[in-house]
Amino acid sequence: MVATYAVLLAAAGATLGPLALSFMTSFKTPRQFATQSALTAPDPWTGENYRALLGGQTVGFGHALLVTTGVVVVVLIGQLTTSVMAAFAFARLDFPGRDLLFWAYVATLMVPPVVTVVPLYLMVSQVGLRNTFWGLVLPYIFGSPYAIFLLRQYFRGIPQELVDAARVDGAGPGTVLLRIILPLSRPIMATLGVITVVTHWNNFLWPLIITNGSAWQVVTTATANLQGRYNGNWTLVMAATTLAMAPLMAVFVVFNKQIVSSIQITGFR
Amino acid sequence: MRQTRRVGGRRAARRRTALAYGLLAPSLVGIVVCLVVPIIIVAWLSFHRWDLLGPISYVGWDNWSRLLSDPTLGNSLLVTAAFALIVIPVQTALGLLLAVLLHRGLPGSGLLRAIYVLPWVCAPLALGIVWRWILAPTSGALNALLGTSVAWLTEPALALPAVALVSIWSQVGYVTLFFLAGLAVIPPSVVEAARLDGASGPRLLWHITLPLLRPTLFFVLLTSTITAFQTFDTVYALTQGGPSSLKDGVALGRTDVIARRIYADAFVNFDLGRAATAALVLFAVLVVVSLAQQLYFRRRITYDLS
Repeated sequence: MVATYAVLLAAAGATLGPLALSFMTSFKTPRQFATQSALTAPDPWTGENYRALLGGQTVGFGHALLVTTGVVVVVLIGQLTTSVMAAFAFARLDFPGRDLLFWAYVATLMVPPVVTVVPLYLMVSQVGLRNTFWGLVLPYIFGSPYAIFLLRQYFRGIPQELVDAARVDGAGPGTVLLRIILPLSRPIMATLGVITVVTHWNNFLWPLIITNGSAWQVVTTATANLQGRYNGNWTLVMAATTLAMAPLMAVFVVFNKQIVSSIQITGFR
Repeated sequence: MRQTRRVGGRRAARRRTALAYGLLAPSLVGIVVCLVVPIIIVAWLSFHRWDLLGPISYVGWDNWSRLLSDPTLGNSLLVTAAFALIVIPVQTALGLLLAVLLHRGLPGSGLLRAIYVLPWVCAPLALGIVWRWILAPTSGALNALLGTSVAWLTEPALALPAVALVSIWSQVGYVTLFFLAGLAVIPPSVVEAARLDGASGPRLLWHITLPLLRPTLFFVLLTSTITAFQTFDTVYALTQGGPSSLKDGVALGRTDVIARRIYADAFVNFDLGRAATAALVLFAVLVVVSLAQQLYFRRRITYDLS
């Protein structure tokens, strides 16, 4: 038992150590950073780096947090709405071409984002949306094959008797979806919501390519730019990484159980 | 009477079809515009040369034959394979170890599990930058801890292992979760029976637990492979593909993984034909891996413990 705890605690220490050290560094002044050991707590703690990031005119990290929040909200609403619509059609309606089309959707899961990023950049630039908010969200709001796949499985598990009973009472497909299927699908909707928020808050490659300058920076690109511009000013940069990670860590602490089970159910990353 | 019902039925069917395609319209547009058309464009670009500004010229199989003779792409494929070969075995073994220990259900296991998963919800880019500081030669925490001043990220022999270490660190918790889920469905009676037969410790793990975990193991290995081959953010944050060494006058990055090569070819060197060709090579590799996964899944479903 002692050996078990020793290994488990060592792993926990190795996991938390780097995060804790970066957190402590973000509360040091550059002077403290230069004179104190990297392993000691700040003495005294200072919020100067955070003030520079969030209050300063030049850095604009607060703006990046706002843009990222906007992107996440729009993608979340767009992707869940369109995915629910498609999944409902696949799970509950009978129409010619259904199975073939569904397998075509599933097949697109194999396409890695790195492959489509170059042509997507060309297309979005072509329609004049480079370095705009809509350029950031456009490729993601039309539903995700992955979400459609998971939702369809879930919708199919809802007993047909419930739907039939509603039909007898005169409910059309819209009412069935909104009044019966969706209220019963809260767990999978929550799972997909968490997946979407985590994925798009952390997205880096697409914002890196499609935006430049500070107007539409998101937290990941703002952090990367900051690291490039203030190279060596680690106290400021660690404040930025802390701000980039803190919101999702808070979400994780609150929804820990749901997130763990949703990872295990969906195998998503 | 029968006639009208048939017409009504046909009309109802037509209405249902219209409704279904109406519901599918947004996602169909999305898939065609954001997936199908891009793949066609990538394939088309791989037969052209273009620098994003000047004219586009058709070059036949030039990009493809260049690919074979191009040392930077060969280097990137080797680097990516080496990266995957370090990351996958280590994180799988560590994840399995932690899962087996957590599965004993000692007090505090829930909290420990949450701690292990924590890096996984954080942006890989942000974690990469945190580690860029930790591994910094003079001001970094690792050198402060060890009392050394090693340039972990710029020393040619150390850079790739260092990037792999960061990748492993951020993903072990995720792997642990899958093994925990796999362990949870092994009936205690099977393990108990083996115990009564005298199996214990490593023998129990090797002969009973591991064979029963095979579906999980396969799933973990395949998803890890797909992720490893697409690694970009971590490398961008830590090394930008460097350090480079010159070979026959060509600079070859020690951590220049294939996804970063595609990005750099397209958006730094503005050689879109080459980027598209490299992207198709990566796609082909991943399709093979994914197909293996599909085949495996079919077996996974029929897997039966009884």
